[in-house]
This record gives sequence, structure tokens and C-alpha cells, in this order.
Amino acid sequence: MARIELCNLTKSFGAVVAVKTLNITIEDGEFVVFVGPSGCGKTTTLRMIAGFEDPTSGEIRIGDRVVNDLEPRDRGLGMVFQTHALFPHKTIRQNIEFGLRMKKVPPAERAQRVREVAEMVHISHLLDKMPAQCSGGETQRVALARTLVTNPSTFLLDEPLSSLDAKLRRELRAECDRLHEALKRTFIYVTHDQEEAMTLADRIVVMRAGEIVQTGSPMEIYSNPVNYFVADFFGSPSMNLVAGEVLQESSASRFRSARFEVALPKHFRTAKPGATTLGIRPEHVAVTRDGKGDVELPVRLVEPLGKDTLLYFDSGTERAFVAVTEGLDMADIKVGERIALSLDQRRIYLFDDKGQRIGNAK
Amino acid sequence: MRKSQRRRLSAVLRYVVLSLWTLVAFFPIYWMVSTSFKPDTQWFSWPPVYFPDPPTLSNYLNVWFGAEEYTTTQYSISSQKPFISLGNSTVIASISTFLAVLFGSVIAYGVSRYRILSEVRMFQLLMLRMIPPIVVVAPLSLYYSAIGLLDTMTGLIMIYFITSLPYAVWMMKSFIDEVPREIEQAAEILGASRWRTVFEIVLPLVRSGLVATFLFILILTWSEYLLALIITKTQVSTLPIELSKYQGSTEGRVYGRQAALAVGITIPLMIAGLIIRKHLARGFSFGMVRR
Amino acid sequence: MSVAAVPAAQVQALPSTRELSRRRAITRFRWSILGPLIALLVFVLMPVLFLQLYFSLHQWTVYLGTWWDAEYVGLELFQEVLTDPRFGWAVVRSLSFATGSTIGCFLIGFALAYLMYKPFRGQAFYYIIFILPMLTVPVVVAYTAEMMLYQSGPLNDLITRIIGIEFKPAWLTNPHIALPTVMLLEIWNWAPFSFIIMLAGLTAIPKEPIEAAEILGASKWRIFWEVQLPLLRPVIFLALVLRFLEAMAEFPKTWALLQGGPGTATETLPVYIFLTTWQYFQISKGAAMSYIVMLLMVVIVLFAIRLLRREKRSLDTMYAKAAARPQELA
Repeated sequence: MARIELCNLTKSFGAVVAVKTLNITIEDGEFVVFVGPSGCGKTTTLRMIAGFEDPTSGEIRIGDRVVNDLEPRDRGLGMVFQTHALFPHKTIRQNIEFGLRMKKVPPAERAQRVREVAEMVHISHLLDKMPAQCSGGETQRVALARTLVTNPSTFLLDEPLSSLDAKLRRELRAECDRLHEALKRTFIYVTHDQEEAMTLADRIVVMRAGEIVQTGSPMEIYSNPVNYFVADFFGSPSMNLVAGEVLQESSASRFRSARFEVALPKHFRTAKPGATTLGIRPEHVAVTRDGKGDVELPVRLVEPLGKDTLLYFDSGTERAFVAVTEGLDMADIKVGERIALSLDQRRIYLFDDKGQRIGNAK
Repeated sequence: MRKSQRRRLSAVLRYVVLSLWTLVAFFPIYWMVSTSFKPDTQWFSWPPVYFPDPPTLSNYLNVWFGAEEYTTTQYSISSQKPFISLGNSTVIASISTFLAVLFGSVIAYGVSRYRILSEVRMFQLLMLRMIPPIVVVAPLSLYYSAIGLLDTMTGLIMIYFITSLPYAVWMMKSFIDEVPREIEQAAEILGASRWRTVFEIVLPLVRSGLVATFLFILILTWSEYLLALIITKTQVSTLPIELSKYQGSTEGRVYGRQAALAVGITIPLMIAGLIIRKHLARGFSFGMVRR
Repeated sequence: MSVAAVPAAQVQALPSTRELSRRRAITRFRWSILGPLIALLVFVLMPVLFLQLYFSLHQWTVYLGTWWDAEYVGLELFQEVLTDPRFGWAVVRSLSFATGSTIGCFLIGFALAYLMYKPFRGQAFYYIIFILPMLTVPVVVAYTAEMMLYQSGPLNDLITRIIGIEFKPAWLTNPHIALPTVMLLEIWNWAPFSFIIMLAGLTAIPKEPIEAAEILGASKWRIFWEVQLPLLRPVIFLALVLRFLEAMAEFPKTWALLQGGPGTATETLPVYIFLTTWQYFQISKGAAMSYIVMLLMVVIVLFAIRLLRREKRSLDTMYAKAAARPQELA
């Protein structure tokens, strides 16, 4: 079975360390998404698993077997590339068939399996076309089919959807999810898109500068970020982060920034006074028009999106303070109007001057 | 002036300039071709004859087939053997070009994928082409005569192979660089071996590049003059040398004959050049032109 | 979870066995292809360079008996060459011929390319016509020139008809204009070369910066100087350097047309070396001369290579995103 373990995996290109002593175990059948900004080492990690890059040190184990010395073709993996990497001079059928031919599967069975796989990803009508005749979404489906047909124990997907537009991306995301459900194989998926990570993953691995910052289920990552970076990276619109300071007074603890001051819940009693960043997600900021709330801020911009309306407030920093309100009720608010906001006390996060989370939200 | 007027004016100016250069570029070629169809009295007449009157094939028949068309045999040079030279040129140019492209592509693949030559070495390779052959041709001919390669096809093929290798490597590298590595890796992870990847994936993808490189180098070797002049004597002579034998011969000016031969030499070259016209810049660009 | 940054030096572990065997395979591949090649170069070029050196240090011509008995004369021959005014003039002629024709090719090639890099009706036609001269065998160019350039020939006749005044320069027999004539032929022959390189360079420049400059209100002239020209610099260097080197080596046209004449008017370095060696049979002097020219050319070529590499690097940084990371050996 294909349980994949990375032990102290390190990769450096000359003086640049792309991946630093990475440790993680990916269980059989799990859908793991490596996510992070570009250059964080996620693709390098994937390519080391595939065998296209040699780790500088550390071990890769697939099903308890150390595979550092195996060629990519002997690792029993399938990979979908960012650029789809279809063979441009072969028809779609020949593309899909290629892996089977390499495995010396007899022609009759080959044809059978190509048909099945093509049906599975809905590309049966494309089989006799050339890759250049297919649209972006279609080529990515073909790339999936070409990998599927060899029946690998693990699927490696390197930002497979990043070259597609938003609608196709959603569509193919659902496809990936469905395939994972149907096949019960391990999927390792690399992306820089937090939304993709949130919707697809059983487990998210957040990386930055070659290191793992946090791993956990999408909900854990979202509601319990370990630091400023993770808090900022996940969620759209992203979390409001306001720089200010914590004041520990005799009666209560307070947070003060340039434009507002709020009382902090009890579990922050122990927080050290001094420079701190307060974080709260837009959906946990309640907007009331009758003027009662924790803080009052002038509106900078109103963005009616239909289902929701986003309100951007001026909190005295460059970054706007955002609140989400349902429907279009607030769409008529004028820019410059002062509006009262109340913050959900239970959902306030604090980060110290190094970006680490303070206290525990629960 | 309004914008549309300015546009039109600049378009007209562009056509005027381009057409002028068209005349400059084309007239000598026209003159060569028309001279090849002129009877002997019009080769060198005053005033010059711009259109052959009447056009005649006698120059071609005489030069290429040794036909004695003129009673005054003064202008017939049937002792020359253009078809033999044509054969020599074809064999020498195509074999040396084939070898250069073969070795060149393997080296280019190695450089592109495995860096078997560093960038400095790649540029140093250009020395083989950039040092003028005149500085080595004398000792080369002595050396060749000592080892029995003077006046042989092998000798010429060898030296042409060496001098055209740099261009072959550089040009093929530019084509191979364009095959994404991900495509090769896709084949690899699907279980294809190194050789299979090269033959089934890489080669078909650079096929047009191979043709372009082949023709490009063929053009260079086909028209080479100096080395052929020194290294070939009587046994083996290439077409440019054959043509130069008409010069300074005692028969006087034999423009029509020369032109008939020149047209024959130039036509294959132009065909090759026009086939690969889109790739010509690549042969010389050494990775300096990014697409 | 996250571990403190490890300095690169500490993580330099031993390469894996797969990596080692792969390195071995690459080394094997490298030598099995480069080996024969180096052997061929050694087999052909080494003896040649040795003979070259031998002859430039020993006095020998064809009627002096066997060459291996030639008398050792030290650096006398080099001295003879360097004090030979004819050689000096040949150097001057070659350099001015190369410089002039390089600039001519470049200006014409660039102008044509600039007029043609945007699509327009008839572009393909003009392109085909413009590359034809390059596809003409140099010797053929020489003979065609002879057919056209005699004093009462078609070129003078045409010009006379157009300007209406008698125009009769003796292109090939007047010693003052013979070298410029050959230079014009070189330009006619090779302007297409500069043209195709500049055209490729101009079309490769991304449209966006130019359009951006236009929107910002820059005139065509400004855009040319501040956007297109800097982006083209590597290609310009390439066109100039290659043309200059090829022009220094130009032999077929000069020789086939004029053999250095009239007098010594078109006696460039290749022609003078050829004459010395194959007409005066001063093999040794020719060898010494070749040696000096070779050294001169090696210096020029090394300089050219430096220039080209510098330009290529600057291109690589400009297009850093497109350029692959150091190739991993897969």
C-alpha cells in the first residue's frame, strides 16, 4: 500500500535551500494538498517524491520502501503536470495509451482501458483529435486520463488547474474530488490557491520558505491558524489584521490601535502587553446601523457582490478593515459614513510581534 | 496632419523604400538569369541587352551537356564536367552536413539536458567556425597530401564537418531547448526508457528543426570556396570551383556560359533557403533571440 | 514542525547512489560523444597547427627540396612579415573592408527590418526577395558582378538613364574604387543576414512595453531609443560581431573578381596570404603571416565571445523567469 513518508527531506540548489528538513507522513488514500506562496518549496517536494529531483539529504519512503534510488518510472506513481505535458505529436488516444504500451499491455486490453478511462473523465469524443485541437479544460482532462489509465497507487498533481479560468477550475476541482472518492487512491496536490486547498484537501500542508508551517484539516487551518502567515493566507476575503498594542489594565485587557479600541475576552488576560496584531475574519464582524457596537469606523468602499456585500472600512492603516454582510441591505451605505461594528469576542485572534499566535481561541 | 493621413503616408513611404531595395536585391539575380539565356553576341554588348533576344538554351546545353552549338568553337568549353562536379558537390555537402547534424544533435541534446558542455565551451566551439580558414589552409593541404587525403572527398568532408559542427550544435540546441522537459518527464513517469523517450517523443518534436538545420548547413557547405579550391585539384572538384575555372581562361569573356552554370549552382541553394526561410535567423542567433 | 534554518553547508550530504550512477552515465555519454570528436580535432588540427609553426620558423619554398630539411631561421620570417609594408596595408584594407561592410550591412538590414517587423500586406513577398542575395553562392556573386560592372555595363547604363548625366565609374579597374566596390558586393550579399537577425530580434520584443510607452505618450522616436534599442542590444551585437568576423575572412568574392588587383587595391589579408603561398610559393612567409593573422583573429574572436556571453547573460537575467533553473540531471 502506498503510505508515503518524507523523513528529514532537504533539497538545496547551490546556496539556496529550497526544502528544509521536511517530515510528514501521507496515509494511504488521503488527499493531501501542499499549499503556499510561490517559491515555498512545495513543487520541489512533489518533484522529489516523483523522482525528478534528488533530495540533498533525507529519505522518501513509499509503502515502507525507501525509493530514493528508484527511477521515476519504477515508483508506481502518476503525475499530472502544470503545463499538462501532453505529447503534441500524438492523438489523444495515443497519449492515453502511451503508459499502457510502456507496460506492454496487449492491444485489445489497451483499447478497452482507454475507452473506460476516457468515459470516466468525459473525453470519449476527443480520442482521435490532436492535443492542439483541445481546449484548456479538455487537455487537462486528457492529462488526468493519461495518468489514470496506468492505475498508479498515488497521484501527484502539480498545480494542474493554474492555467485555467475560474469556471473551468471549479469544474475540474469537482472532477478531482469525484475521482478521489471513486478511486480511493492517495492524491498529493500542489497549489498556491488557498481556495483549491480548502475545497479539495483531507489535510492541508501549509509551506513557507521550504518549511512546513502548519498541517491540518481545512477547518483546523481556517479556524485555528498557528501564526499570522497562515491566518493571512487562508480565507477570502482574507482576515482583518490590525496592528496595535495590548493593554493589561486592572479590570480587563484591551487592544488599542490607531482608530479603535476593543475589550479583549478573558482568555487573553495572560497576554503580554505591547505590540500585537489583532485578527478577525470579515464574517465575524457584525455591522449595525443603529450606532451600537465596539468600534465605529468610516466606510472607505462598498462592494455589493450579490449574495453578500463587502464593506471596507478605514482603520487607520493601509489595509482596509473588511466586514461581510448578507444580501444587498447595506449596498446603499455612503462612502465616508461612520458605521458601528461589533466584533465576535470568541473569534478574535492575537499575534505577537513575531507573528506567532497568542493564547488559544477556545 | 491627421492620424490616418500620417498612417497612409508612412505606409506609402515604407512601400517605396522596400520596393527600391527589392530592385537592388533582385536586379543582379535577374541579370545572371537573363544572361544565361542570351546568345553570345549579347553577353557583353553596347548598349547592354536587358532582355535576351531571342532567348536561347544554348548556354545551358553547352555548359551542362557539352553540346557544340557554335561553329566558332571559341566559346564552347566542353572539356569541363559540371555533372561530375554536381555529383561531387552533392555527395560532399550532404555527407558532411549529415554527419554534422547527427553529431550536432546528439551534442545539442546532451548540452540541453545534461550540460555536457558548459556555456563557455559552447562559445569556444564557435572558434572552429570563426577563425578564417585561410590561416590554416596551407599547412592543411600539405598535411592532407602527406596522409593521402588531398584531392579526395573524404578530406573535404572531414574539414567541412569540423567547420559546420558549431552551427549544427547551436541550432539544434535552440530547437531541443524548446521541447519542454515536462513532456519528457511525463513519458518517463509513464514508464518510458531514456532511449524510447528520445526516439518516440523528442525526435518527432524536433523533426522540422532537424530539416532546417540540415538545409542551413547544406547551404554553407554547398557554397564554400576557399577550402575546396585548395584541397581539391583535379580528381574532385565542387561546383563553385568548376565555375571559377571559366574565369581567366584564354577564351575571353564567356558570361553566358558562366551564368548558365551559376544558375544551376544557385537554384538548389535558393530552394533550400526558401524552404527553411523561417528558421534562417536561428542558425546564427546563438540563443540571443528569445521567442 | 518547522525547524530552524539549516545553513546550506551543513545539509551537503553525500549524493545518493542513484545520483552517482546517473552522474557516471552522463560522464560516459559525454565522453563517448566528445571523445571521437576531440580525437578528430587532434588528428586534423594538431598536425596542421604544428606544420604552421614549423614553416613559420623554417625557410622553405617548393623548389628548395624536401620540406623537412628546411633551414631553421628563428623569428626572421615573422620579422620579415611585420616589416612588410604590403602586409601592413593588407591589415588596414581588411579592417576597413570588414568595418565598412559590417556597418553597411547593419544599417541596411536594420532599416529594412524596422520597416517590416509589423505585419503588412506583401510582407512575405518582400522577405523572400530580401533573403535571396544571401542564398547566392559568393563565387556566383563575383561573376555576376563582373557581368554587370564593366564600364559600359548595365549598371552604369541604368544609372545614366535614370539621372540623365553620363555616369561611368570604372568599378573594377579604378584602384580607388575597387575596394569600395567589393565592399558594396559584400553588403549586397550579406545585408540579408543582418536583416533576418534584426527582424527576428524586433519581432521577439514583447509588444506590451512598446504599447505601454505609447500610452504614456512617448513618440515613435523615443520608443525606439528607450525601449526597442536597449532590448535589441544583444541582437545588435550579434549581428555586428558575426558579420565583422565573416568579413575579415572574406575570400571568394575578392579573389574570384579581382585577385587583389588592380595593383594591390583589393589585397586584403586572405588574398595576400593566398598570393604569397600559392602564387609566389613563399610557403614559409605565408605560414608566418597566417600565424600572425591567426593570433590577431583569436584575440578578436575571444573578445567577440566575451561580448556575446555578456549579452547572453544580460538577456538571461532579463528573461530570468523563462530561463530554466540550473538543469537537474534527470
